[in-house]
Amino acid sequence: MNYGYYPGCSLTGSAHKLDKGVRKVLEKQGHVLKEIPDWNCCGAFEYGDRKELTNFSKRNLEKARGLFQEIVAPCPACYKNLKEADEKKEFDIQHPLDLCGEAFLSSMKQVHDLKGLVFTPYYGCILLRPRETAISNKTVMEDTISRFGGEVAGEKVKDKCCGGNQIFINKFATEKLSRLILEKSKGTMVVFCPLCHMALKTFSGDRKVIYFTDLLLYIMGEKNTL
Amino acid sequence: MQKTEHIIELAGYEKEDLTVCLGCKICASVCTVNDLSISTSPQELLQTLFLGKDIAADNPLVRYCTGCYRCTHACPWDIRVPEIVRALRDELATGSPFEKAFKGSVAIWGRVYEPYVLLKAVPFLIKEGYLKHMNRWIEYMGIHLPHKVKGINRSSGSSSSNGLNESNGSKGRKGRAL
Repeated sequence: MNYGYYPGCSLTGSAHKLDKGVRKVLEKQGHVLKEIPDWNCCGAFEYGDRKELTNFSKRNLEKARGLFQEIVAPCPACYKNLKEADEKKEFDIQHPLDLCGEAFLSSMKQVHDLKGLVFTPYYGCILLRPRETAISNKTVMEDTISRFGGEVAGEKVKDKCCGGNQIFINKFATEKLSRLILEKSKGTMVVFCPLCHMALKTFSGDRKVIYFTDLLLYIMGEKNTL
Repeated sequence: MQKTEHIIELAGYEKEDLTVCLGCKICASVCTVNDLSISTSPQELLQTLFLGKDIAADNPLVRYCTGCYRCTHACPWDIRVPEIVRALRDELATGSPFEKAFKGSVAIWGRVYEPYVLLKAVPFLIKEGYLKHMNRWIEYMGIHLPHKVKGINRSSGSSSSNGLNESNGSKGRKGRAL
């Protein structure tokens, strides 16, 4: 399947590991990702004028028009903004997690299993809320971990807020919220949001924080992604 | 003085959309700001706004709302309080140096170029004790040169406009005069 790909700003910098992971995982599964040409920032959560914010993503959709019908956007903020800007539902904007359904998992080449390993799948906020833009399969990370023999922990914190949005505004708020999540969970934290990754990793000490794509790549045979 | 209609319009609502609030305060019971031991109520913020009273920059939600949408998810009417808070923040110009640098980067390149944002925010990062986290961040930062998106029409940072051409037929923001 061919997809238009919107990486967003974080994935070119602090979340480049997620960018590489998404490209690699989807490529291994036979999908082709092509970047929307000359895409611009989606505005994230930084603009109080909703029209101004939406215009960022409308502009990206204009650049995708005629080239792509299906668009994949891994960053939850970008995904939400793009989806909301597509007011007439002219595009099929998907989050990579929604591509990891039964067909995807059953066709995955398995080299490693997750036996004896404990993971907390952590979705955070924007993948699950607001409901209009939430991903469809809200247990996809748990399903994947269980399927390949891993232990799932931290059910109660999966949709709590890590405060990542506040990390460069009120650091104490992010620290307190992230520590609450880390305390009430076990094992390796598995995330999909660049902000959650940054927030949890900043305060996680020795606890591992990985992207879901790292987990998939490990199952598929890579050695050092966990 | 803030003008209720203007804030609500910035957030993409009309005043009538908010009259449906039942006052049930379920938003307050799920609000993440309460996990910071800071008592707050999105419903009271809506009510204050609706009554045309000013909301101060030190209102707990204006300061600490994380944009988690737990309130929206719990609300019987899915009212998007985080978007009203963001409109208030814009109006009250509460942006931190980091947020200003973020918007500055978007105005110059059309994208957020993280090294620029970090450099612009250095005094703030030092003052607020962020440097001790740098080692952690450098572990996974990707370094690259900035890409300039075509059609960027500003050469310097602006905190209130995205600097992008509006080629999509949108009328863009309305006048901000109150």
